[in-house]
Amino acid sequence: MASGRNWNWFHRMGSPRWFYETTGRWLPWLWVLTLGLMLTGLVWGLAFAPQDAKQGNSFRIIYLHVPASFLALAGYYLMAIAGAIGLIWKMKLSYMVMKSAAPIGAALTFIALFTGAVWGKPTWGTYWVWDARITSMLILLFLYLGVLALQYAFHSQETGNKASAILALVGTVNIPIIYKSVDWWYTLHQPATIKFTSAPSMHPDMFQPLLVMIVAMYSFYALALILHTRVEILRRERKASWVRELALQAEPGGVAQ
Amino acid sequence: MNTQFDSLQQFWEMAGHGPYVWTAVLVSLAVLGWLLIRPVQQQRANLQSIVRQSQREQVQQAAAAGLSKEDK
Repeated sequence: MASGRNWNWFHRMGSPRWFYETTGRWLPWLWVLTLGLMLTGLVWGLAFAPQDAKQGNSFRIIYLHVPASFLALAGYYLMAIAGAIGLIWKMKLSYMVMKSAAPIGAALTFIALFTGAVWGKPTWGTYWVWDARITSMLILLFLYLGVLALQYAFHSQETGNKASAILALVGTVNIPIIYKSVDWWYTLHQPATIKFTSAPSMHPDMFQPLLVMIVAMYSFYALALILHTRVEILRRERKASWVRELALQAEPGGVAQ
Repeated sequence: MNTQFDSLQQFWEMAGHGPYVWTAVLVSLAVLGWLLIRPVQQQRANLQSIVRQSQREQVQQAAAAGLSKEDK
């Protein structure tokens, strides 16, 4: 049964109980890491990084705008992949991750759009333009909201899961368009500050705090996704005996109604 | 390494860009904070409601057991 043993990890990972117990051990560390990095990056970027020669202090918005945009996009891939795993292997936990990723992605996309608009006013002279990058990000927001809405649109959880996963997968078409939009349609939004293929077009004194904020946002994303998924696990598995034992341990006295 | 601002007043004003920068920061932090606080609250409520339900069921089972004894 060697092959059976090889797949054990996969089945274990699909078990909500295993996920709940494992992430429970990670949570304290993730909280400390996220809050520590976020505070360091923000203070560094807002107070210590030199101001931009052209944009002055308004450029400091980059320390929230770029990390939020990164995770809004990366989070979409994660949501679509979780949906695909749910469709192919019928893994319950995978659907719970997909559902949890939707509100987090929507909130991060909102932050990217909002900080972009506030940054646009002193830089471009306008809060909003129907530029390719901005428009495709707005579509991303609607895709996230659509995946979330489909979760509540059906009586059967199973149907909702499948519908959400299919929308998430179809929506991945939008992601390369967002990435390439600044190159294909060279309008108002500036090209990417950070590329994997070349050195960043930014002074190290400005770039280092941005790097800290990007790592902080990844850590934040992991924390938020784990917290939301754990809520979903308790909600869907509330009849399971391990959940009851866990609840009695966490809230031993119960509560007066 | 030194801060770019000589006083808190200057840090707040950011040479005229203060309203933009601080609006972006405060709204972002509010949304990020909400993403963490909401699941923590929901989890607490979930755990409490699971405990309440299991207590209710225990009471019902005890009552049912008591009734079946009286029948005999």
